[in-house]
Amino acid sequence: MVSPIDGLLRPVHQWVWGDFDRRVRKLLAFAEVETDGGRDILRAAELTQDPLLRRLYLEHAIDELHHGNLFRERGAALLRLRATRARSLFNGNPLPGGHGLDDLRIEGEPDHRLLAFLHVAEKAAAGRFTIYRELVDDDPATRAIFEEILRDEVFHMNYTYTQLARISPRSHRWQIWRARGNRLWKRYLRVAVAIAAVFGTAMISLLYFVVLPPFAWFARRAARRETSGWSPIPASRHQLPDSRHSQY
Amino acid sequence: MKILGVSAHYHDSAAALLVDGVPVCAVQEERLSRRKNDASFPIGAIEWCLDHAGITPDDLDAVVFYERSMLKFDRILTTALRAFPRSWRSFPQAIKNTLGEKVWVRGIISSHLGVPREKILFTDHHASHAAVAFLTAPVRRAAILTADGVGEWATLTVGRGERRADGIAEISLEREVRFPHSLGMLYSTFTAYLGFAVNEDEYKVMGLAAYGRPTMVDKVGKLIRRTPDGAFAIAPEYFEYQTTAGRSYSSRFIGLFGPPRNRYDPIDLETADGQRFADCAASVQRVLEDVLVDIARNLHRETGLTDLCYGGGVALNGVANARILAESGFERLFVPPAPGDAGCALGAALYADRIYFRNPDRDVPDHPFWGPAVDAGELAKAGREDNQAVDELDQAAMLERIAGELADGRIVGWMEGACEFGPRALGHRSILAAPHAREMRDRLNRDIKYREDFRPFAPVVPAETAGRFFDLPPGGARLARFMSGVFPVRPEWRDRLGAVTHVDGSARVQVLEREMAPRLHALLEAYGRRTGIPVLLNTSLNVAGEPIVTRALEGYSTFRRCGIDVLVAGNTLVKKRAAPPARASMQERVASWA
Repeated sequence: MVSPIDGLLRPVHQWVWGDFDRRVRKLLAFAEVETDGGRDILRAAELTQDPLLRRLYLEHAIDELHHGNLFRERGAALLRLRATRARSLFNGNPLPGGHGLDDLRIEGEPDHRLLAFLHVAEKAAAGRFTIYRELVDDDPATRAIFEEILRDEVFHMNYTYTQLARISPRSHRWQIWRARGNRLWKRYLRVAVAIAAVFGTAMISLLYFVVLPPFAWFARRAARRETSGWSPIPASRHQLPDSRHSQY
Repeated sequence: MKILGVSAHYHDSAAALLVDGVPVCAVQEERLSRRKNDASFPIGAIEWCLDHAGITPDDLDAVVFYERSMLKFDRILTTALRAFPRSWRSFPQAIKNTLGEKVWVRGIISSHLGVPREKILFTDHHASHAAVAFLTAPVRRAAILTADGVGEWATLTVGRGERRADGIAEISLEREVRFPHSLGMLYSTFTAYLGFAVNEDEYKVMGLAAYGRPTMVDKVGKLIRRTPDGAFAIAPEYFEYQTTAGRSYSSRFIGLFGPPRNRYDPIDLETADGQRFADCAASVQRVLEDVLVDIARNLHRETGLTDLCYGGGVALNGVANARILAESGFERLFVPPAPGDAGCALGAALYADRIYFRNPDRDVPDHPFWGPAVDAGELAKAGREDNQAVDELDQAAMLERIAGELADGRIVGWMEGACEFGPRALGHRSILAAPHAREMRDRLNRDIKYREDFRPFAPVVPAETAGRFFDLPPGGARLARFMSGVFPVRPEWRDRLGAVTHVDGSARVQVLEREMAPRLHALLEAYGRRTGIPVLLNTSLNVAGEPIVTRALEGYSTFRRCGIDVLVAGNTLVKKRAAPPARASMQERVASWA
């Protein structure tokens, strides 16, 4: 079940799970991902016209939301166990979120495409969780979570395949290949966006330190002259004929 | 004249449509996208509004955005410059965030809707708050107060509104408190410090406050001082929201109040830390109330008016609202059902209609039900397909049946007509339950809402009998119309209303007039005939982290996932059959279908 890429990445996974802080972060990030994924599947249950799929999606969503809770509770338990560097990251800041690792669009997606996507995603997750389970041998509670989730993922993987074959008997294999292709494309996009973001941040930071200092000096000087308390609102602000069109 | 109001990009985006000066519909994007606090451009909400009214974008006379996005960018840029070089981390993110989409509102609206650019108008953020507060209230003239985290620059404004004899409405905001001095940000900073989500969980701080004592008022007083002119100023050294995007409180803040709460730790009021957090909440709540009451009192003195219209996110604080009503001198306090940013979509449309176009004022229907309607047939179909027990009854029989289910201790999901506009379930998308035993509150928190056990639930009561159970001051029933005030439960009823009486003996009661929600009103009467107490526990039909349901199928999926026993949409009732154990695997659950 473990994909060759995950096999190659095993040292990276080991590096992540071998460190207490990183383990906590990963568990809490998984909690968000599973919960978001659960909500997406819930939405699919609300939108599909197929009664059997609605019931299955609903049960699937219940599982995903439960997995989110398992990860959250375990991450929180580990956090309580020992102060971590991660602690400060979660105060006043939202966790890294998004709607699942493979940002899923539900509205307007036909069932066969969604089932193919879910099948591929569940299969990949099952492969990865198999590795994680082995890497947390020193932590029985976390290992037990992976075992439970792995069992569920296998069932999810199977039912999505069966249902895909039911509703799309002639093209289900093609749908799965297509879902794999999409997954790869989205991965590429994620990496590309991340690299672009790094470049963007570097450029803006450079501008910040090179261009902004004189403006900052003026801004601070102006701030010192400002008084706190009430500021009058000039009546003219709304009465000028072009104020309604102005974004200023 | 057809005017579309839009709010978007920060939290709670929404759209509202006005036809000939009267709202036709309004809905938050989250109710359609099913993503809580969805801040994206509300294209789903806009499309629904246009479909509902049977018009196309070409028919629109104006599209009004609820704030001036470039002025907001001006504030973000200026704030970053003032914090140079400490703002170096947050600056790139702020710039990418703002220049990436938020400042190009005119282009976004124009490209999405295809309307000419000259039809796209803008209002001030706080003018939108003021408009939705004043122009939806049944008053001739009133003082206006708006308070939130921050709009463009303003965080709090005062002014007045008047409907003149010639039919023209006037709104004049006279003065403002400007960023970074903000009551909303002060409260949100404590929300973050207490481990809750900013812009979402502020009401948890209010709920937690009742468990604490305001022992740290002096410390909170160091964070915010009153200025000689009656306004206030924060002490910037205790905050970081004005310099970084990472954290809203500074190390000095932590030095003053102690280590912040880890959001993953449950609040245990038996521990010293738990009590400290509750005391923090009580203290900031007290300071917020004191400042607001004082500002409102001065406004009353200055205007000599009897009514106050109050908008902005801070107006969701029902405890503070009740004190404003009791102590400011105003006889009536009007808080709209959507005082936050979502309501600004309606406010912006009203502002454009009455102030920009000088159209004659029209009465706005005094209810919150502006969203999509529920389809009972959809529920019946889903229930039958899933082999649930589905009953379709006439109205009288249905109400008697539900009253009986409630009296027997069952929890009812209740969907009726158009959904509410705003964050509160006011009788069309509610979970209803018997209000008598505290165990019911615990059961709801544990099995249905999946939320902290310190959180209270609200009661709904017919207007005719509200005074028997709740100690409502003059004007209290009006404030409680949209669940905007917290009032004492009469001591003799507290034990019998245990599920809706908070630890301090108060309740965020909804006083229901028959005309606003006749079916729920009739249900309350039917329940009263059975139990002698026409009061029900009323909480929103959703589970934690999800928006309130809109369609019947969303209600149904909520019903299937949590401990709701009975789900009702119109005259269709679905009762849950016995389910396999909650933690059976999906394989076992699916096998049990056979």
